[in-house]
Amino acid sequence: MPSTLFQQSRRHFLRGASATIALPVLETFSADSTPADGPRNFVAVGTYLGWHQNAFFPKQTGKDYEISPTLSPLTRFRDDFTIFSGLDHRAPNGHQSWSNFLCGQAPRAWSLDQMIADELGEKSRFSSLQLTAGSGESGIGSKAISFTRQGIPLPMIQRPSVLYKKLFMSTADRARAEYVIGSGRSALDDLLEDAKRLQKSLPHSDSEKLEEYFDSVRAVEKRMGRQLEAINDPVPQPDYKLPSYDPVTPNLQIEAETILYDLMVLALQTDSTRVISLFLDGLGQVFSFDGNALGSGYHGLSHHGNDPAMIRELVSIETAHMHCFAGFMKQLKEKKNAQGRSLLDDTIIMLGTGMGDASRHSSRNLPTLLAGGGFAHQGHIGIDEKQSDSLLLGDLCITMMQKLGMEVDQFSNAQRNMNQLLS
Amino acid sequence: MQMRFTACWLFGLFVFGSARAEIPPQPAAILNKYCLDCHDSDSEKGDVNLDALAIDWTMEKARELWEHVLDASEDGLMPPPDKPQPTAEERQVLYDWLDAKLLEHTPIGGTLPRRLNQPEYEQTIRKLLGLADFKLPIGFPKDTEFHGFDNIGEGLLLSPPLMEAYATVAWEIADEIYPPKKPAPKSTTRTAMPEDMVISFSASSVRGDALRLASRHPNIMRSCTWPSRIEVKRSGVYRITINGSTFKPVSDEPMILELTARDVTASDRSNIDVFRVIKEIPFSTESPKAVTFEAELYEGQTVMMRWTNAELTHDGKELEKLMRVKLAENPRYLAAWQKAVFPHGKPKGPRVTVLRGANGWRIVKKHMADPNLDMSQATMDSEMTKALLVAFRNGKTNIADALCHNYFENGPSLELHAVTIEGPLKIVDGPKDLRRASLQEKIAGSKQGDLCDEAFAREALTNFLPRAFRKQVDSETVERYLAIAKEHWAAGHSFDEGMHLLLRNILISPRFLYRALGTGKMDDHDLGTRLSYFLTQRPSDATLIDLGNRKRLSPAWVLKRESERLMPTRPTDAFVQSFTGQWLDTALLPEIMPDTKFNFTPFYIDHAQKEVSYFFAEMLSKNRPMTDFIDPDFTWTSPLFAKNVYKLNIKHKKGKDRNFGRVELERGGRVGGLLGQSAIMIATANGVDTQPVLRGVWMLENILGMPPPEPPKDVPVLTPDTQGATTPRELLAAHTKDAACATCHESIDPLGFVLENYDPVGRWRERWPKSNAKIDPTGVLPDGTPIANVVDLKKWMVENIDLFSQCLAEKLMTYATGRVPNYAERSEIKSIVKKNHENGNGFQDLVLALIESETFRTY
Repeated sequence: MPSTLFQQSRRHFLRGASATIALPVLETFSADSTPADGPRNFVAVGTYLGWHQNAFFPKQTGKDYEISPTLSPLTRFRDDFTIFSGLDHRAPNGHQSWSNFLCGQAPRAWSLDQMIADELGEKSRFSSLQLTAGSGESGIGSKAISFTRQGIPLPMIQRPSVLYKKLFMSTADRARAEYVIGSGRSALDDLLEDAKRLQKSLPHSDSEKLEEYFDSVRAVEKRMGRQLEAINDPVPQPDYKLPSYDPVTPNLQIEAETILYDLMVLALQTDSTRVISLFLDGLGQVFSFDGNALGSGYHGLSHHGNDPAMIRELVSIETAHMHCFAGFMKQLKEKKNAQGRSLLDDTIIMLGTGMGDASRHSSRNLPTLLAGGGFAHQGHIGIDEKQSDSLLLGDLCITMMQKLGMEVDQFSNAQRNMNQLLS
Repeated sequence: MQMRFTACWLFGLFVFGSARAEIPPQPAAILNKYCLDCHDSDSEKGDVNLDALAIDWTMEKARELWEHVLDASEDGLMPPPDKPQPTAEERQVLYDWLDAKLLEHTPIGGTLPRRLNQPEYEQTIRKLLGLADFKLPIGFPKDTEFHGFDNIGEGLLLSPPLMEAYATVAWEIADEIYPPKKPAPKSTTRTAMPEDMVISFSASSVRGDALRLASRHPNIMRSCTWPSRIEVKRSGVYRITINGSTFKPVSDEPMILELTARDVTASDRSNIDVFRVIKEIPFSTESPKAVTFEAELYEGQTVMMRWTNAELTHDGKELEKLMRVKLAENPRYLAAWQKAVFPHGKPKGPRVTVLRGANGWRIVKKHMADPNLDMSQATMDSEMTKALLVAFRNGKTNIADALCHNYFENGPSLELHAVTIEGPLKIVDGPKDLRRASLQEKIAGSKQGDLCDEAFAREALTNFLPRAFRKQVDSETVERYLAIAKEHWAAGHSFDEGMHLLLRNILISPRFLYRALGTGKMDDHDLGTRLSYFLTQRPSDATLIDLGNRKRLSPAWVLKRESERLMPTRPTDAFVQSFTGQWLDTALLPEIMPDTKFNFTPFYIDHAQKEVSYFFAEMLSKNRPMTDFIDPDFTWTSPLFAKNVYKLNIKHKKGKDRNFGRVELERGGRVGGLLGQSAIMIATANGVDTQPVLRGVWMLENILGMPPPEPPKDVPVLTPDTQGATTPRELLAAHTKDAACATCHESIDPLGFVLENYDPVGRWRERWPKSNAKIDPTGVLPDGTPIANVVDLKKWMVENIDLFSQCLAEKLMTYATGRVPNYAERSEIKSIVKKNHENGNGFQDLVLALIESETFRTY
C-alpha cells in the first residue's frame, strides 16, 4: 500500500486497500458479467489543445469519405467508428471551456464518465479510472476532465507504474498486505477490550450508540479474514513489461500514451473497471519524430495563426496521438470473448476535446469521434450547426448512455438523442 | 370515564411505579372545554389524543405531545378559528402549568457520542500528527446530515464500510510515518544521450551528436534541459559525468554550465531559483570534455542543466539591448527582421505569433536570402527599427525563442554530448526522510540515552495518547495500547513496525473517533474540545489543553476569554463556511446548476457564496446588532454583480477597487441582509423555477424558527408552475380552501409570495416569466400584519427580531452541542436572547452567551 494521502494525494486510490485486496483475476471477460447485447464499457479520450479541424474532419460526409490526414492511422478501422462535425455544447468561447468536453455546457458539472460510473461502476473493482499523459505531474490538479456529481475534479493517474500496481499487485505488495491485515486483525482483541472498558463507563444512551462501533469492527474483522484467505489464491500476472522509468515529463507524452493504452486494454479485459477517461495535455514540450525535433512546442504550434508550416507540425503531433489510439483500437478488436464478441464491440469510445479551435479559443464545432460499442457506424456525420435546432454533443452523450442501458433522456443542455442516426 | 381513569391510574401505580401526575383541575377543565371535542380518544384528530387524566412526565413521548399542545396554544394555531377560543387568562393557565411541568421533567444535556465528521477528522489528523496537507480520499463515505447539520451525534452513524475506510486511512497514515523498510538499492549507471534529453520550447536543440543550449533565462522551460528518463529512486550520493564542449565561442571566457537537482515531476513553469545548485562546470574547448563529480540527489530527482553566462536571455529589456547591438552590425539582418515582424511594410501591428521557435528563424533566414529584400529602412534611426526594438521588448518570448535557433545554428552555444548518473554510492537522508523523522518525533519524542524500546514507547504513549484521545488517560489505558506493540515485538517485529501497528489502532479507537462521551456537566477537557471544534473545527490547541489539565477552563471569565481568542473573524474561517453553508443551505450551490437561460456562470455562483460568508463574518467579528442580519447598512458584493442581479447601481468612489468589496447601504431598502441575497434565493429554488411554498417553508424553518408540521399524508404535493399561464396564487388559493391546509399555508404562503420577486438566481423581477403576469407579493403575516413587499417584511422582522435571534441561536446551539435543543434548553436560549436584546443585541455577544450557558456546558 503506497502512502498516497499526502503530497501525492492526486494519485489517491479511490477505493483504497479494500479494492486493492480484491485481487484481480486475469481472464478474458467472463460470460456472466457480459450483458447479452449492448456494450458495457465506456472510454473517453480528450485533448487539451483540441484537434486541428481542417486536418481532422473529412471533406465528404457519409460512409465513402476520403480519410483525413489526422485520421489516417485509423484507415483500417473505418467501419468501426463515426466522425461527427458540427457538434458542441454551445458553451461560451475562451480558455475555460476546454474542460467542458465531458461536462456539457457548464464547466465542472457532473461529467459523462462519472454519470456512467455512478450507475455502472459498482460492477467492477474500480468504479472508474482517470488517467493523463503529458501533464507534467505538478501540473495536474489544475486540470481535469472528470468531475463528480458535486463538481469535484477527480485526480488523474499519470505514472504507468502506479496504474499497474493498482491493477495488478506484485508478490511483494501481496506479502505486505498480508502482513498489515494480519497484524491489524490480531491487535483488534486489545483494541476491543479497551473499547469495552470505555463503554462500561458511559451512560446508557452513549453505550447503546457505541454498539454501532462494535458491530462495525466485527464486520471489518470478518472481512479481513476473507481478504487474508484471498491473498494466497494463485493469481496470474499479465505478461506486460513496464519500462524501468515512468514517462512523466511532457516530452514523453507519446510514449506515456502508448503504455497507458496498453494498460487500459488490460484493465478492461480483466473487468477491473468499466469506465476510463484519458486526458492528453499540451504544454510547451517539443516532440521529436523520427529523430527530428519539431520547430516549436506543442502549445506554441496550437497558436499557429494559420501558418502552414506550423499547422503541418501541429498535425504531425495529432497524427501521433492517433497512431497511439489506433494501437488501442487494434487490441480491443483482437480480444474476443467466448461468444466471439470483441472487446471493441463491448466498449463505447468517445475521442474528442472541449476546445474547438485552440488558435482562437473557440468552443464551437468540436472534433468528435465515436468508436466501438456495437453501433452501426456511419462514416462522417455532418451536423449543420447553423440550424437553430441542430443536434448537440450532449445528444450523442444521451445515445451513449442509453446504449449502455441507462435510463437517461437528458444531458446538460441536450434532450434528444442520435439513436436513429447510428442504427 | 372516571372508572376508566381509576383503573389506569392503579395499573400505572402498581405495575410501573411511575411518576404519573394527575392533571390539575383548572387546566383539565380548559382542555375539556376547548380541546377534547376533536382530540379525544374517539376522534383523535391529527393523531392527537389529549384524553388523559394523568400524565407520565418521564416519558419522552408524553413530553413531546404536551409541548406540541403548548406551542399550538401559544402561537394561536389551536383551537382552529372556527371553534370557540379560550380567553387570554385561560391560555395563561394552560401555559403556566405546561411550562412548569416540562421544565421540571426535561433534563438539560444528552448529546450522543459524536463521531468526528470529515472536516473535523482531517483537521484533527493534520494537527495531531503534523501532516499539514492531509486530505481524506475523494471516495471516502459521506457523513449523514441530521436536522440540517453534519455534526450531530444522532446523525453521525458508523457502518462497516466506514469503519473499513477508517482502517484503510489509518494504514496509509501509518505508512507515511513509519514506512516499510525498502530493500537495499542496487547501484546502476544510466546515460542520457542528446536525444534522451528534454527539449522545452526553444531551450535546446539537437545538432549532430550534441544538444545545444542558447538562453540563460531564469524561466526553466525557456533555458534548461534534463534527462527525463533518469529518475533517482533513493536519496543518495551519485557520481555524475557531464560530457560537454563549446560551439563557436566568441571569446576566451569559459562557458559555465550550471547543474541543479530537480524533481523529475517539477512544473516546467518553475523558476531556476527554486532548484538546488549542485555544481558549476566551465567549458572552454570545442572538443568534448568529460567532467565527473559526486553530488547528492534525492528520491524523484534528476539533473537539470543551464548555460548561465549565455548572452541571450528571454527578458524583454535585455533582449532589446542585445539586439540593438546585433542589428547595428548587419543592415541585411536588420532588414530581414523588419520584414519578418512587419510583413506589411508598415511600422505597426507587429506579427509575432508565427515567429515562434524554428519557424520564426526560418522566416528571418528566408528574408535574408531574398535578393529583393527592402533595405530602405535598414538604419538604426528609422521608424521601422524603433518599432522593431519595441516589438523585441514586448514580443520577447516568441522572438527570443526564434533567436535561440540562430545560436543553435551559428553559435555561440554550449554543447552537451552525454550525461551519466551512477549510484547510489551511499544512501543519505533526503527531504522525505527528514520529514518522516520529524513526524515520528511528534508522536514519540526523541529517544534519550539507553532507554529500551518498551520504556521509550511507554513514555511516548503517556504523552501521545492524551493528545490523540483529547483527554487525560490512565495508566491502565496506556498499558492496554502498549500491549499491542509489545506482542508485536515479541513476535520478532521491529520497533517501527510495532509503532505502525500501534498508530493504526489508536486511529480506529472509539476514544479517537468519538467525542462528547459522558454525562452531566462537562469536564474541562471536553468543554475545551466542544468549544474548539465549534469555533474552529479543530481539536483543542495547546492553551486549551493546558487549561484542561489544570481544570481552569470552566470559570466563566476564562471560558469567555478563550472563546474570544478562538472567535472566527475571516470569511474563509472553517466555522463561517461550514455553519452558514449548512444553516442557509448555501453549501448546496455548486450542485444547483442554474438553467442556462439565467446566464449565471460558476463565477457568479462563487461570488454569491462569497457574499454570504463575508457578510456573516462581519456580523460576527464586528459584533453587529442582530437586526443587521435583516436590515443592515452594508453589504458585500461587486458593482457588476449588484447591477446585474440586484438592479442596484453602486456609485464608485474614484480609485476604489471595482472588484468584490464592502458597500454601504441606506437602511430600509430592498437590498441588504439575508432576505433576497442571491445565494439564499438560489438555495431555496431549484435552478429552473421558484416555488413559493418551498421558500415559505424554508423561511419558517431557518429564519423564523417556526417549522410547520409535515403536510398531512393524503394531500398531493403541490408544485405550482410559476412559468405557466396560471399564476401560482390561483393554484394555491384552490388548495388552501381546505381548512386542514389553511392553518399552515396561512403562515407559509405570504413568506413565499413576498420572495417571488426574486427569480431562481435571486435576480430581481417584477413579472413572472412566460405568462408575463405582474407578480403580486402582498400578503398578511400570521399575526395579522399586512405586507406589501419584501421591504415591509424586513421592517416587520426588525420589529420582531427576537423571533429570528431565537431561531439562529437554536441553530448555533444545535451545531455546537451536536443535539437538537429540548424544551428546557430552548427555554434557556430564550432567556439568553431576551437578555442579549436588552444589552445591545450584538451577534458576537449572543454567541458568547450561548457558550456560557448550561446547555453548552452539559454533555
